[in-house]
Amino acid sequence: MSIITTDDYKREKLHDSIVSACLSERAPEGQASQFATEVCKGVENWLDIRPEVTSDDLRRVAANILGIYHPDAAYVYEQQAVTL
Amino acid sequence: MNAIILSLSIVALAGLINASFSLGVSVLTLLSGNSLGLKTSHKHLLNLTASFVIGVVIITILLIATTALVITSASHGNLPIWWWYVVCLVMVVVGLLAWSFYYRPGKAGTSLWMPRGFSNFLYDRTKATRSSAEAFSLGVSSVISELPFIIAPLLVSASVLIGLQSGWQLLGLLIYTLFSSLGVLIVWAIVGSGHKLSSVQKWRETNKRFLQFSSGAGLIILSAFVYVYIKGVNL
Repeated sequence: MSIITTDDYKREKLHDSIVSACLSERAPEGQASQFATEVCKGVENWLDIRPEVTSDDLRRVAANILGIYHPDAAYVYEQQAVTL
Repeated sequence: MNAIILSLSIVALAGLINASFSLGVSVLTLLSGNSLGLKTSHKHLLNLTASFVIGVVIITILLIATTALVITSASHGNLPIWWWYVVCLVMVVVGLLAWSFYYRPGKAGTSLWMPRGFSNFLYDRTKATRSSAEAFSLGVSSVISELPFIIAPLLVSASVLIGLQSGWQLLGLLIYTLFSSLGVLIVWAIVGSGHKLSSVQKWRETNKRFLQFSSGAGLIILSAFVYVYIKGVNL
């Protein structure tokens, strides 16, 4: 049985996670912040029509959007939850 | 001399099998990614990862030396034949377990066999690691957490080592530690030389089934070799 976790969406938390993933792939700081802003916008658009989503959904959608800008960072972001 | 080379070869192979169990590599990859994500300086990143690697190396030396000491004390330096059968059985069982669920079946990424609560704990600890002392402890913890699998290569190596003279024992201990730490040493070198972490994780994800097969097969083959050798010596 899998446990599905839910959480309030926090823009700052998502932004920091995306910046962190980009920096871990040695992207420049400004670029990392710009990508994170784009990802947050994309996620918020996606959230507009969904009252409740799981944290796994959020991670998957954020990774998909980040993949447009920085595929390696998107990979790292998605893998964080399944590395251990 | 042939017996010494044979013993050291068994220890080297056991060390390589130990290296194919990759919890340490997973934790080191996460630790490096997290440190880079926090805009850590390259010097601090190297300090953290070096402390982690030192933790892995020291606990590996302690584990194999302690295992050898316990076996020596219990057997008074003269291993009974049944002990070797027990070691072979442990290797076969652990090999089969590694084949069955070392990596979580049907899961993406490199999710390991551990209960999710424990893996979340390790993940959180890795994310919270800021100092060299914490990184050292994390290296120690990652080796100890892998004991259910590395117990097999540890047992066979320790059992082989106690039959050697002290100088060769020391060499064998170093060989085991070097070979078993190869994974973390390679990742450390990759991170230190400025390569991307995604390449490490992609390689691991692509080859995880091969690594899983190799570790299980390695243990079973080593078990068969030790069994046949022991039987041959006794005939």
